[in-house]
Amino acid sequence: MFELRFHGRGGQGAVMAAQTIAEAAVIEGNYAVAFPFFGAERRGAPVLAFARIDSKKIYSKTQVYAPDCEVVLDDSLLDTIDVVSGLKPDGIVVINSKDKPEDIDLGKEIRTGAVDATSVALEILKAPITNTAILGALAKATGIIKIESIEEAIKRRFGEKLGAKVGERNALAARTAYDRTVVGKSKGIKKLETKKQWLPSYQELPVGGVLVEGRTEAGLIGPGSFVENKVFGWATFRPVRDKEKCTMCLLCWFYCPEGTIVRISDRGDLMTNYDYCKGCGICANECPVDAIKMVRGKT
Amino acid sequence: MRIKDLPDENLFVCGHTACPGCGVALSIRNAIRILGKDTSVYVPASCAVVFGSTYPYGAWKVPFFHTAFENTGACLTGMQAAFEKKGKKVISVGFAGDGGTYDIGLQSMSGAAERNDDVLYICVDNEAYMNTGIQRSGGTPFGAWTTTTPVGSKVQGNRTFKKNLGEIVAAHDIPYYATLSIGHPLDFIKKVEKAKDIKGFRFLHMFTPCVPGWKIDPAKTIEVTKRAVESGMWTLYEVENGEKRITHKPGKMKSVKDYLMMQGRFRHMSPEDLKKLQGWVCKKWNLHYKEKGAPEICEIELPEEHHAVTEEHREMHGP
Repeated sequence: MFELRFHGRGGQGAVMAAQTIAEAAVIEGNYAVAFPFFGAERRGAPVLAFARIDSKKIYSKTQVYAPDCEVVLDDSLLDTIDVVSGLKPDGIVVINSKDKPEDIDLGKEIRTGAVDATSVALEILKAPITNTAILGALAKATGIIKIESIEEAIKRRFGEKLGAKVGERNALAARTAYDRTVVGKSKGIKKLETKKQWLPSYQELPVGGVLVEGRTEAGLIGPGSFVENKVFGWATFRPVRDKEKCTMCLLCWFYCPEGTIVRISDRGDLMTNYDYCKGCGICANECPVDAIKMVRGKT
Repeated sequence: MRIKDLPDENLFVCGHTACPGCGVALSIRNAIRILGKDTSVYVPASCAVVFGSTYPYGAWKVPFFHTAFENTGACLTGMQAAFEKKGKKVISVGFAGDGGTYDIGLQSMSGAAERNDDVLYICVDNEAYMNTGIQRSGGTPFGAWTTTTPVGSKVQGNRTFKKNLGEIVAAHDIPYYATLSIGHPLDFIKKVEKAKDIKGFRFLHMFTPCVPGWKIDPAKTIEVTKRAVESGMWTLYEVENGEKRITHKPGKMKSVKDYLMMQGRFRHMSPEDLKKLQGWVCKKWNLHYKEKGAPEICEIELPEEHHAVTEEHREMHGP
């Protein structure tokens, strides 16, 4: 049995990718299952999906804990999630990254296929939805499924839901990514500590679940503790303000849903805290003097 | 108060997990900024619970309370009674969604309004149950796609018109009811400030676009709100002690089509449906702005071709 685990962000289509790979396996005459992990996911938040492929009927219904292949749709996830946890020693990682496999630090030396799927998606689909591109890379890196079957599965699955033209465009994205994929070995330097959880005993748990501001070994809890949740990884584009053009009308400050634009009253200036910017682009869209531009990548 | 007079302090901190471009997060952040520190917040089941507080973490820097879906009004009453008993001067404010106000929480809200309890009820209206994955609510407009009003060959989208909640709430003879839009900051600030100082049951009705539910580009959240007001889909007014006053009248009515075609949930609409909705909007426009006869806009020719979901759009947002 070949087991896959998909790490993505809400809106990138990790679930659809898992389903498509399962369909491709079925096209080749195998058995396959695909299913997501359900949580309270918003668009941009980390999500999980799983797939199993076998030549026999599959009876296992659990999540995939020891995958043969790990698919990472967004390399910003590497900062927060230990993606290779449980991965089999002879397993493979397929990752969406601008870097070559040799430059990617996964905390483990492991066979890795890398492709810049975001660029492929932006070129061909005009949107940073990387699921179909990463499937092409998956075909190249693992060889478990032929690219032709993946193209066929994409056309079927996407064509049925979104129209034949979209299906073909997505199949092209997969083929392009297939051609651009580089396979190598990743670095294994960093040690990623799994984030500790706050697990109070029943004596420690406050009556009625009432929480006051506090710090535990797992970090802040209670009111305002979300400040420790850095969400910069959600963004594909980031706003850059041209101070010359800015008239300090403060509309962006008012309109920012995240509160990343901070006003420094005593200096009469604005500052963007990129740690929390999700890259929605409202500020750039609403700026009356076009002083804000959305730029791809880290700033 | 102008934008620049607003306090710097952020009582709804960064790092919450709302979708990029969330209209609800934006309204909540600004409303609580104006209301200030001496506020206690109640939120029923909604997105705001999920992105604003996931136990043991929270984005609120003011006391925050959450129980069930249908009891925003009752909980606010109880909170306020407790504060009064303890001799504390606190504003009890509830942020309920349209599902928690139009449908599920209507009886509880009505009870609190009838008793004229000294609480502030805020409805963040994104026109469907977005938290559970886009199901139709009483606030969903005509023609809109949701998962429970799908687009098929026989029926396309929601068949009922948006419930007139404003009239229902105002019929309780409460001291203050107002509709707000995040695309009109000055009006927004003025109304929240006014509601802060009035005694008795105040109701603020906020129009808050939902990026995945409406299938819009996250950057267009504000733009779509402005279009809603310009087209007459949303009206900015207030009812103070039974007296209704329009607070912002857009210059010339724009075709509702401009507003609808920005959003994926309306892209499928047939010319007949568009006409039907335009007629409804015109009627509403005349009623609110006291104009006689349908404005010329009703005569505007609607497009001949069928507005199927465009390819480009599908790519962006899925089916």
